[in-house]
Amino acid sequence: MAQVTHGLGGLKYDPGKKARPQELNVLVALIVIVAAFEILGRLLMGDSFLFNTRDNIDTLFNQQRLSIIILQVSIVGVLAIGVTQVIISGGIDLSGGSIVGATAMIAMSFAQTALVNGQPNPKAIFGDWAMDLPVIVPVLVGLGCGLVAGLINGSLIAYTRIPPFIATLGMMVTARGLSRWWSNGNPISFPTESFAAIGKGMMPVAIFVALAILFHVIMTYTKYGKHCYAIGSNEAAARMSGINVNHHKILVYAIAGILASLAAVVLSSKNLTAQAGMGMMYELDAIAMAVIGGVSLSGGRGSIIGTVLGALIFGVIISGFTFLKLDAYYQEMVKGVIIVAAVVLDQWRQQRRTRG
Amino acid sequence: MKKTLLAAGLVALMGTTAMAQNIGVSMAKFDDNFLTVLRNGIQAHADASGISVQIEDAGNDVAKQLDQINNFIASGVDAIVVNPVDTSATQAMSDAAAAAKVPLVYVNRQPVNVDSLPDNQAFVASNEEESGTLETIEVCRLLKVQGKTEANVYVMMGELSNQAAVQRTKDIHDVMAAGKCEVKLNIIDEQTANWSRDEAQSLMTNWLSTGTAFDGVIANNDEMAIGAIQAMKAAGLDMKTIVVGGVDATQDALAAMQAGDLDVTVFQNAAGQGQGSLDAAVKLSKGEAVDQKVYIPFELVTPANIGDYLAKN
Repeated sequence: MAQVTHGLGGLKYDPGKKARPQELNVLVALIVIVAAFEILGRLLMGDSFLFNTRDNIDTLFNQQRLSIIILQVSIVGVLAIGVTQVIISGGIDLSGGSIVGATAMIAMSFAQTALVNGQPNPKAIFGDWAMDLPVIVPVLVGLGCGLVAGLINGSLIAYTRIPPFIATLGMMVTARGLSRWWSNGNPISFPTESFAAIGKGMMPVAIFVALAILFHVIMTYTKYGKHCYAIGSNEAAARMSGINVNHHKILVYAIAGILASLAAVVLSSKNLTAQAGMGMMYELDAIAMAVIGGVSLSGGRGSIIGTVLGALIFGVIISGFTFLKLDAYYQEMVKGVIIVAAVVLDQWRQQRRTRG
Repeated sequence: MKKTLLAAGLVALMGTTAMAQNIGVSMAKFDDNFLTVLRNGIQAHADASGISVQIEDAGNDVAKQLDQINNFIASGVDAIVVNPVDTSATQAMSDAAAAAKVPLVYVNRQPVNVDSLPDNQAFVASNEEESGTLETIEVCRLLKVQGKTEANVYVMMGELSNQAAVQRTKDIHDVMAAGKCEVKLNIIDEQTANWSRDEAQSLMTNWLSTGTAFDGVIANNDEMAIGAIQAMKAAGLDMKTIVVGGVDATQDALAAMQAGDLDVTVFQNAAGQGQGSLDAAVKLSKGEAVDQKVYIPFELVTPANIGDYLAKN
């Protein structure tokens, strides 16, 4: 039995509860899943999931697999960072995936190259003036789209008092409509080389990791981060204690919007194309990553580290399934079960800790 | 005087509505590249021949599509063109149109009740059995040209609920079983990348991480073939030694073929299907007879004949 003491202000304070941070559970889950794939791989495939078993390469780990595990989730991961700070401050953002679609279409229109294999670009959206523009133009246009969408989300929530679920649902439908309307559903392809460099190779991972570190610092050490937790835990109390809740909310959604549009720029650059259906379901994957990572949907609890671990669990599952050559018809079912199981397990640990 | 003018105006108005056919079109979804070409084909043909069309997006929702059809019937269109969301949910649509005696034409996706359609309904599409077959046979031929007698390939499937994905994958197995492949083909693994370039990139990289040697990738569509190519190039593989096949002959795919990365694709005449479905709908609404199954053929595209297709999609 942990010793119960009283902290400042007479609040009950149990040092035992602080001993093991939330993220440790998620890390354990990640290790268990990796170990499961390693064991199943050895038993069923006669091959290792993590380690290199090829003679022609001299490394301990299978580096190609390790890099794809994180590469395939890093773009949704950027979205998940934005969603995490929204959920921590007591909101929800369903519009991320659609903002990705709309931003990709609009930004790519300003990133096109004039000549493809020596012929005029067959997918040209604008005239010659928009061809071969410096890379900063599509990037700024893209981030601008996300900023506008985020400001609209935030202002609706702060000033009209409609629930975040509804405001961002509206944005989700509107932005998807915009992405389809922009070029009548036609894909936009063939970007300039400098634009293509943004998402090349492991660049998405570098961007994801850099943003994760940045936002970990912001959420842990700055006033902005502390206000997020305060508003998410108890909005009325936060308002009483002098936090400008409305301004803060607008800022939170604006940042989420900018991160979604950044994900769009990286995604369209990586794929060398923008399509109206891009980013479909990304918002739900991002929310799932955060929730698996221990971010509470009721607000006030969670961390960027948790979300990053949640994203890694996603990546490990996708790669693990392909590694085991699991029949494609089963994969989605198993993925759904794992998502729910991870959260149930976490919930169960939480309850046991509060009781004990 | 005023009354006669009004009457004359009304007669003129009725005259024009009777002349210009009014066709309702329900597309499965608007944000699919291929269906967009098809939709543009319908629109262009309608504009050129003075037919008025109203095109709706069913948003990949079966229930919404049926509602749209009932709305078309209620607003008195002369005929309806449907690109079904779910090919097994078409009976209700056929029944609704038949009850209202409105002609109905299915386009691109084969309805489950294709053999029991009423007289004033028809189906216009390409025969999916051709697409995967043409693709696989050409991939086999290219592997043979490389001097191989046995080859290992990966198969990338489209959305698992989609008839084209299922059929094109089945075509690969059928070609192998029928002995039409010039080399002995071994499928290392078969997975879905949901028609998407991004998912195909990830899937291919996951396959590459297993280190298994392979000679080719057969994808159900071009977007996935391009994703696979991007992943292989990122891993430093020489695209000359690997045979990659897709289906659709999109602009992006043709550019990849010109760059020497993509070896095989198959052209499905989307605009032709759109045009064919509109023609059938107009004929049916005038009471003329049409074939109940109109097939627009698939065409194989290789670096040799790519020039014929650059301006088509």
